[in-house]
Amino acid sequence: MHDDSANKGPQVYGLIAEYDDPDQLLTAAKSTYDAGYREVEAYSPFPIHGLAESLGFTKTAVPFLTLCAGLTGACAGFGMQVFATVYHYPYDIGGRPFLSWPAYIPITFEMMILFAAFTAGLSMLALNGLPRPHHSIFNAKNFERASSDRFFLCIESADDHYDDAATKEFLEDLDPRPLEVSEVMV
Amino acid sequence: MATVEKLTPEEVTAKNYPALAPVAPLLGPGHDYESISDTITSVVVEKPHPPGWFIMAAVGMCFLSLLGISTAYLFARGTGTWGVTIPIAWGFAIINFVWWIGIGHAGTLISAVLLLLRQDWRNAINRFAEAMTIFAVACAGMFPLLHLGRPWVAFFILPYPNSMGLWPQFRSPLVWDVFAISTYGSVSLLFWYIGLIPDFATCRDRAKNRFAQIAYGMASLGWRGSSRHWFRYETASMLLAGLCTPLVVSVHSIVSFDFSASQLPGWHTTIFPPYFVAGAIYAGFAMVLTMALPVRKWYKMESIITTRHIDNMAKVMLTVGLIVCYGYASELFYAWYSGSSYERFMMWNRIWAGPYRYAYWALIVCNFVVPQLLWIKSVRVNPIPLFGVCMFINVGMWLERYVIVVTSLTRDFLPSSWGTYHGTIWDWGIFAGTLGFFTVCMCLFIRFMPMVAIHEIRVTHHKNTSHGH
Amino acid sequence: MIPLGLLLVAGVSSGIYLSPEGSQVDIARQQPVPFSHQRHVQGNGIDCRYCHSTVETSSFAGIPATETCMTCHSQVLTDQPMFDPVHESWRTGEPIAWTRVHDLPDFVYFNHSVHVAQGVGCSTCHGRVDEMKLTHKEHTLRMGWCLKCHTNPEKFIRPRDQVFNMEYEAPGRKEQHALGSRLIEEYNIKVGQLQNCSICHR
Repeated sequence: MHDDSANKGPQVYGLIAEYDDPDQLLTAAKSTYDAGYREVEAYSPFPIHGLAESLGFTKTAVPFLTLCAGLTGACAGFGMQVFATVYHYPYDIGGRPFLSWPAYIPITFEMMILFAAFTAGLSMLALNGLPRPHHSIFNAKNFERASSDRFFLCIESADDHYDDAATKEFLEDLDPRPLEVSEVMV
Repeated sequence: MATVEKLTPEEVTAKNYPALAPVAPLLGPGHDYESISDTITSVVVEKPHPPGWFIMAAVGMCFLSLLGISTAYLFARGTGTWGVTIPIAWGFAIINFVWWIGIGHAGTLISAVLLLLRQDWRNAINRFAEAMTIFAVACAGMFPLLHLGRPWVAFFILPYPNSMGLWPQFRSPLVWDVFAISTYGSVSLLFWYIGLIPDFATCRDRAKNRFAQIAYGMASLGWRGSSRHWFRYETASMLLAGLCTPLVVSVHSIVSFDFSASQLPGWHTTIFPPYFVAGAIYAGFAMVLTMALPVRKWYKMESIITTRHIDNMAKVMLTVGLIVCYGYASELFYAWYSGSSYERFMMWNRIWAGPYRYAYWALIVCNFVVPQLLWIKSVRVNPIPLFGVCMFINVGMWLERYVIVVTSLTRDFLPSSWGTYHGTIWDWGIFAGTLGFFTVCMCLFIRFMPMVAIHEIRVTHHKNTSHGH
Repeated sequence: MIPLGLLLVAGVSSGIYLSPEGSQVDIARQQPVPFSHQRHVQGNGIDCRYCHSTVETSSFAGIPATETCMTCHSQVLTDQPMFDPVHESWRTGEPIAWTRVHDLPDFVYFNHSVHVAQGVGCSTCHGRVDEMKLTHKEHTLRMGWCLKCHTNPEKFIRPRDQVFNMEYEAPGRKEQHALGSRLIEEYNIKVGQLQNCSICHR
């Protein structure tokens, strides 16, 4: 198998199949997942609905993190104003209450949005492992078109069922047929 | 798969696509994924720039240097060089601030609200409009800072640990404004950048020279377009859109609190928040069209920003314009209905008896009378008359803020404190300067960044061509 | 990059602001005559009020006139060249131009007599002046520092008869709190008013 690859020559990252149609990629991805491959990734120039799901990726922590950050922001914003006006420097203006909470709502709201929005954006990048200037997948043939008009399906060598010859054959025989199947080096 | 006529991009863009079909297409025919990438990225990676770009950039640069001169003079001589004096302590600074912020709002509306409403036609214009938001907010942000007189201590208004042991006054609308505008500016920037990441990746892969490849590569943060990337990306985009929608409403509501939380006749009214938000969208759509119509022509992007897009924008503008006019009517009605002699006097002074009545009627012509032309379809789909209507609205919205600020302040409760106000040459210099700043920023944006969200146009194309969807 | 740059600018500038360079704390100033408080107070046992004679009656504590110096120095150390500015001033009637060490901004109103009458000791704000050879500022005199006492005066005030005692040591925290609270009552200090803007910014 591939257990001896660690100390011999250039390593193989995986095998990649190229398509020119998003719907074909979706079908191929489904078949690959159904065939038992798990370390599979599909690459496309735009989001294709159902693609990640067909590869068994159905959940992301982004919404939950955003919710937490929004609540944190709201509490921090409100708390800051209460701390400033009630505890740290209370200022008596004509006997008005120190805790005039309706006036604190705008800033509380803005802080909530600020925290939540930045968490949504930055946690998306962090969970995607970005920024990451280089990745083995960029070595794939024709991959510069993955950001334009080509659709790729890659079975990684880390997969339990991966076998250079058998997996290549599997990809070549997929229905729909890929334009080309090639090896990606690490 | 639907079979489409195969045309080269030049043939595609050379054609004129009428919008008179029941539902005009959102993308010209003959496009495939590659031609979409080509049409949009070629602007930044290869195409020589049309004369229009150079003229726009040159004019913008002239005005930008005017901004430099005017601010230098302001810093040297102080705010006394402006026309502001008691009772009008807020002059052009607040007028221009509100005008620019309002223009920015269309970008957020197009990118966030229309995304949530799944209006696919936004895809061709959202990037452009978001860029406009960022630059408009930057222009707006200058005015409160310049108005400070001591702009180098502007950070005093932020809550930071300081040796005075003091906090900003959290109960003041002006401090709310600081939070709202800075949140709005930074969240818009984030939303814009997140949208640009996959398109920077496309530019990276299509760039011809090494420097551009590295620059776009860094900007794309190593985007690979994997299914997991896109899954999280789409989730985050929807969340950001959901967060931006209430944000944009809150921002202009808070801007209107600057006025309505005071007690001046003409300002102290509850219609202000919705009226301001509608006015912001109105002005913003007018500015999007003002910028998009020429650029679309120069770069031959008619097949991407189609006639249907501009038709839809004109319809939104007409609708929102009517809401704004409802605001004008409501101000008149409530001034009478309130029974307050100060309110009645203010309104009478505004529309008939006062020195600024010309501004009021000019604004009614610009914002109410002329835009009624948009009921006519041939005005909506024809770039030249539509551009003209948009210019009227741009001017009208500025006049609206001028009328609100100046007429109320010059004639408040006490006749002994009445005054007059006129912007000096330095007021106009700074205002024209921010127009230059905005234009130059837009030129640079068009030159270096994909001005249409490429990956979203591909989604449109996918929906058009895919079977079973 | 931009946020990092801003952070750097903010860090460096607040660093400078908080350092002695910004606050002038602990920096002895050059004076026309190298006057030593240590020599005069510890060495000769002169009371603060001998020279700063209006401290109990006026907002300004008072810088001594040349005549005050000459009460002793017409007889003592008359031949030292460093006294030339004093003699010069005595001859011409032109006051000596001392460099101010404690200079509040003009928008702050400060009254020495009120503070002295309410039990704020000299050393609370000025430090151990009796130990200074050349005078320096002990505290920043910034608003946040003033507010420490204006919000919680019980932490700082002492009996009136100890105000001019440079060697006064406050009792422990608990005892000081009890003492301070009692003195606030006794001296009728209205703590609630001490944070009003117009107390200092008139």
